[in-house]
Amino acid sequence: MQDDHNLTTKRSKDQPLQGIRVVDFTWVRAGPWAARWLATLGAEVIKVEWPENLDMLRLNRFTVPPGVEPGPNSTGQFADTNAGKLGMTVNVRHPKGLDAIKTLISVSDVVIENFSSRIMQRWGLGYDELRKLRPDVVYVSMAGFGHTGRQHYFGTMGPAAQALSGLTHQSGLPGEPPAGWGWSYLDDTGGMYGAMCALTALRHRIQTGQGQHVDLSQMITGITLTGTAFLDKTVNGRESRREGYPPGNRTVWPGAPVVHNYRGHIAAPHNAYRTHGGGYNDWCVIACLSDEEWTCLVGLMGNPEWAQDSKFKKLDGRLEYQDEMDRGIEEWTSTLVKYELAEKCQAAGVRAMPVQSSQDRIESDPQLRSRGMFTEVEHRMLGRWKFQSAPFRLNGASVAVKGPPPMIGEHTARIMIDLLGNSRDDLLAGFDQGVFWPESTPPFDYIQESIGREAVI
Amino acid sequence: MTTNGTGNSLAGPLAGLRVLELTGETAQFCGKLMADLGADVVKIEPPGGQETRNIGPFLDDQPHPERSLNFWHYNTSKRGVTIDITKPEGQETFRKLAANAGLVLESFPPGRMAELGLGYEHLSAGNAGLIMCSVTPFGQDGPWRDFQTSDLVHLAAGGQMASSGYDEEDVPDAPPIAPGGGNAWHIASNYAYMGILAALYHRDFTGEGQYIDVSVHEACSLTTEGAIAIYLSTGDVVRRHTGRHAAPDMSPKIQHATNDGGWINTTRSGSNLTPDRIKVLAEWMDTYGLAQDLLDEKYQDPAVVAQSDQHFAAVLRNFFANMPLVEAYEGGQELNFPWGAVRTMGEIVGDPHLEDREFFRSVEHPELGREFTYPGPAAIYNGSPWRIYRRAPLIGEHNDEILGGELGISKSDLEAMKKSGAI
Repeated sequence: MQDDHNLTTKRSKDQPLQGIRVVDFTWVRAGPWAARWLATLGAEVIKVEWPENLDMLRLNRFTVPPGVEPGPNSTGQFADTNAGKLGMTVNVRHPKGLDAIKTLISVSDVVIENFSSRIMQRWGLGYDELRKLRPDVVYVSMAGFGHTGRQHYFGTMGPAAQALSGLTHQSGLPGEPPAGWGWSYLDDTGGMYGAMCALTALRHRIQTGQGQHVDLSQMITGITLTGTAFLDKTVNGRESRREGYPPGNRTVWPGAPVVHNYRGHIAAPHNAYRTHGGGYNDWCVIACLSDEEWTCLVGLMGNPEWAQDSKFKKLDGRLEYQDEMDRGIEEWTSTLVKYELAEKCQAAGVRAMPVQSSQDRIESDPQLRSRGMFTEVEHRMLGRWKFQSAPFRLNGASVAVKGPPPMIGEHTARIMIDLLGNSRDDLLAGFDQGVFWPESTPPFDYIQESIGREAVI
Repeated sequence: MTTNGTGNSLAGPLAGLRVLELTGETAQFCGKLMADLGADVVKIEPPGGQETRNIGPFLDDQPHPERSLNFWHYNTSKRGVTIDITKPEGQETFRKLAANAGLVLESFPPGRMAELGLGYEHLSAGNAGLIMCSVTPFGQDGPWRDFQTSDLVHLAAGGQMASSGYDEEDVPDAPPIAPGGGNAWHIASNYAYMGILAALYHRDFTGEGQYIDVSVHEACSLTTEGAIAIYLSTGDVVRRHTGRHAAPDMSPKIQHATNDGGWINTTRSGSNLTPDRIKVLAEWMDTYGLAQDLLDEKYQDPAVVAQSDQHFAAVLRNFFANMPLVEAYEGGQELNFPWGAVRTMGEIVGDPHLEDREFFRSVEHPELGREFTYPGPAAIYNGSPWRIYRRAPLIGEHNDEILGGELGISKSDLEAMKKSGAI
């Protein structure tokens, strides 16, 4: 197996991970997002699915565009989360399906999954088995609590992981319930960590020839993002349940003790303000990190009388009289459209930006447009579709969304025949025996075509 | 070396990588990620120390550049030297260091490093394998390139705030909320790490280094999960909801109060309720006499279940209102419901599951004669362990070791540089 390892020779590469093959058992968001980045970096990612246990994102009710026929290939959220992958369907609970997967793993570099902690072992695909198939395999598991530890069988999805990690409690207004995060931050970030773990272990493999099992926990990923609060507890003994915490968008809540609330430098103003129009997302933020920046803001506002009161000159006073100050600022911001306001502030040396919705970022953000944040790719069901690009550019290699996500089972034939060298007869037998498609439902037309059969009418 | 609990002598996965770090808040977390995985990260601060040393909280609440817990956390496992790179002598010293480095990580304003004669073209001239990664608010070009930002400012522009906040009935008139903790910098640092590892991998096969241009704004912008896909698909803009996904419609509540003042998050109302799962849930709730009508036969009909989301949320709300937090959360987990307690650091520190994973790492601060407990890794690397090699560097702690020992600058020259303010 080592001899045909296509990475043992030095050569030029257009894409950083060109030549790396990933077997992707992941589903829903965090796992698929991890493998999506490996694909964007150039790896050949093969998503393994089974239609009777469909990836939930293929069913996402909010993201089927009007006029598009609903079905497992029609959701925008699945599309972006799985862009650039190949897809096969196989029943790993069928002996022949398990054999096919084992053969695939033997010619792959990375196996990645985000099931509960013992599922892969139950299938006979635990790390010890994987290593027999591919001695230097990089195996990344992304269970909620990890594979090690007494509660390894506890499950999480983004919101619960955020709650348990301490992230949720860092967001909100004092005296109110935690506001938490308005999306699965730990599916996004947990996904990135899955990709980071794979990249790190691949780097280690290059240096040493050794693979390994990387045991990632989604929930613990969140704890590592609360480090300063963690040390405030272990070093200073400070509890997070305290007056004025969490301090909304402020660094310190007025009237509460002036302590650091894990928002960087203590500063005021440091808040969100309503802007002209009064719409749901007509807000901007302003942060003055020094007395000088505050002076710039006062000048920009036209030196209103209230702002010239000496009590606002220094940070202490601005913290104490924040409510009065914020009311004054908002009177001014309410007269300006949020983009105009941000431009004026920036020109005057004041840190400010509009609160941007998804619509704003797609339609109105000149920076994202200028930098090519969205890559348009043809998608069989969705038409020309925008995919999110990488937030970094490499000047010596290509990092780009390679193509649309796989239609379910789209590449089963190609992988089984072209890559793994099976005969067409074997493949057809597998289809008849429920190995590559459930017997309960007829395969889609494109699958029938891919195996050279008449479409089912 | 500090104690790390593993007793493991294996090298970290990034062993052998020399990193020069010229960044504060923006990307020092990226430096930490690499340092704890074995890279030799040398943090280069201006003489007197970086301004991030003034970010609190501080040890015993006494502000001092060597007592910032924020600095401690983000700079574990690094070594530190002080160099004034605005001075010719400092630039010369930096160039010497860069000649043998694998990576330069920096976050000066676009163009600043080149002005100092330290741009990628200068530094890679004698070191073709050098990778340089610039992490800046908006990247190296574009109309917003020179805008000034902060963590809060990025979370506004990036879309985090537009998704986070409260249901109108919970907190009327609430603003969009920026979650705390410096996560704009985390998001950017994580993506920077990804780009760097990709470039390292590329270099391992081609011998070529390269320049990486990371935008904090782009990193934040692609970290709002479904918000973009929803707009692209239907034109809907999500509304903010308490403790759950922003959604175009009024989704069922998933964060509920418990009878001991806590909060529990159920991910969705009960999480993927099917008739089978409702039965499991209802039988358990019934042992407390709180199942209400969930044992009713009608909930064995998937069509009824599909229509009953809001009702299930209401029944669960009542259930939790009569339950203590940990009993509810762990009881649910034992039945395979992926629920979570809203925890603070007080509940996280000492968690036995985390202890099983050797998450709590004791780090020695020899100058204080004390040890403190730091957070460990998100992932266990079974073949190449993560560890905290040492506490954050003191100001200029490794000047002699690195500038003298490695670069061979003589003691008298180092003294002279100190006097001139170059180091």
